[in-house]
Amino acid sequence: MNSASMQFVMSRRMEIYEPMHQIGMWGEDYKSSDILNTSTIIEPVRKLGSENTSQGHSGTLDFKYDQEASKPTDKVQRRLAQNREAARKSRLRKKAYVQQLETSRLKLIQLEQELQHTRQQQGLYIGGGVEGSHIGLPASVNSGIAAFEMQYGQWLEEQNRLICELQTALSGHVTDIELQILVESGMNHYLELFRMKAAASKADVFYVLSGMWITSAERFFLWIGGFRPSELLKVLVPLIDPLTEQQIMEAFHLKQSCQQAEDALSQGMEKLQQTLSESVADGRLGEGSQHVPQTGTAMEKLGALVSFVNQADHLRQETLQQMCIILTIRQAARGLLALGEYFQRLKALSSLWATRPPCQPIS
Amino acid sequence: MQQAIPYKAWSLPLSNNHATGVTPKSTTELSVGALRDAVSENAVIVLARRGCCMSHVVKRLLNGHGVNPMMFEFEEIDESEILKELELIMTENDGKDKRRVQFPAVFIGGRMFGGLDQVMASHITGELIPLLKQAGALWL
Repeated sequence: MNSASMQFVMSRRMEIYEPMHQIGMWGEDYKSSDILNTSTIIEPVRKLGSENTSQGHSGTLDFKYDQEASKPTDKVQRRLAQNREAARKSRLRKKAYVQQLETSRLKLIQLEQELQHTRQQQGLYIGGGVEGSHIGLPASVNSGIAAFEMQYGQWLEEQNRLICELQTALSGHVTDIELQILVESGMNHYLELFRMKAAASKADVFYVLSGMWITSAERFFLWIGGFRPSELLKVLVPLIDPLTEQQIMEAFHLKQSCQQAEDALSQGMEKLQQTLSESVADGRLGEGSQHVPQTGTAMEKLGALVSFVNQADHLRQETLQQMCIILTIRQAARGLLALGEYFQRLKALSSLWATRPPCQPIS
Repeated sequence: MQQAIPYKAWSLPLSNNHATGVTPKSTTELSVGALRDAVSENAVIVLARRGCCMSHVVKRLLNGHGVNPMMFEFEEIDESEILKELELIMTENDGKDKRRVQFPAVFIGGRMFGGLDQVMASHITGELIPLLKQAGALWL
């Protein structure tokens, strides 16, 4: 490859480089900058195809180095070779960089689509609430709910951090005291969530009851505004192996007690539904809808819903605390980790589902 | 000490089961009078406003343990009177108990046990059963 094509390559790669710099790289041997410039402009096309020709002694071109061909040949050759190599590497790097950009671009598009999908899903429910017939208020109107949504976002971040800490602690060698602290943090964090939910229920109980604040897969398992304790026990207890005979029995009794309490609450909810629909059927919606002050109005019944959510959360809290009593510290830590990961996976499942390719049949 | 005599409970005039639809024409005095008897003579009694769905939950929970609690339902107008009387009963039994009565309220063995919160919590921890046995509501 002769200098002209070499120069063409180099000037293409290093656009900011002036031809003068390239002259400088080749040393002080070539003082005729004019000739170099001329050859750069005139010769590049012809010489690109002839990479294998010797460096400067082709007859077709009045090669500038002919003048001093003999003396600096080896030096020149070496430099040309180095330049070739540098140029080649540069091209490869550029190629790799561009490929990386392309991949990132695709990933970005994918993430944006995913975001749009999940927003749409949430928006479908919230959008449905804006119509006049809906009792609940969307987050944009209800400040209590808007506050809850923001707090819940922060709660999730903290939760993920706690889960990471548990993972690290359990995979390494941590003392029981350190685990104790982690377990207490985890438990307190759930208490925090129940407190937040109590406030949100006062703002809009339907928002909490219909699970508008959680992902779709979690919503599938919804029971009175949250998870069903007995179901969770069924899922998590096997993951806390090994348990002593005593512990297995206690866990079994706890699960039974949970189920009894859940049934009692569910029946209470059913009764509420019944009396509520009776009130609605009788036209007893609330004070002011008729001249005579009404008792047993639908509005009064709806107030009871808040206590149901609170009681359900209370049951969840009691169950978690009882589990901590039954288990050793290490087991409790593993249990909390399993619980946290379970919900992380449910959220991931919701994402997967939301972004599945639309035309693919589900096998 | 209060004796729990279950069979006598059924004969109380103002005890009512909402399912039968029999509405007692309870004036305040009548309610309060019967209230004392009801509390002292029943091993387990649940006091709640009429139509309260939470009382249903308490009842079901206790049923699950094989206990059929006496249900004492009152009208909203009688609530304050009933509250006063209950607090009086509580001071007579155990003056140290300063808890506020929340409805539905559960009295076991003539003493104030608590509301749905307490029932739920003790149900999960397993403390409820011994308490019920002690009051003579269970014989297992």
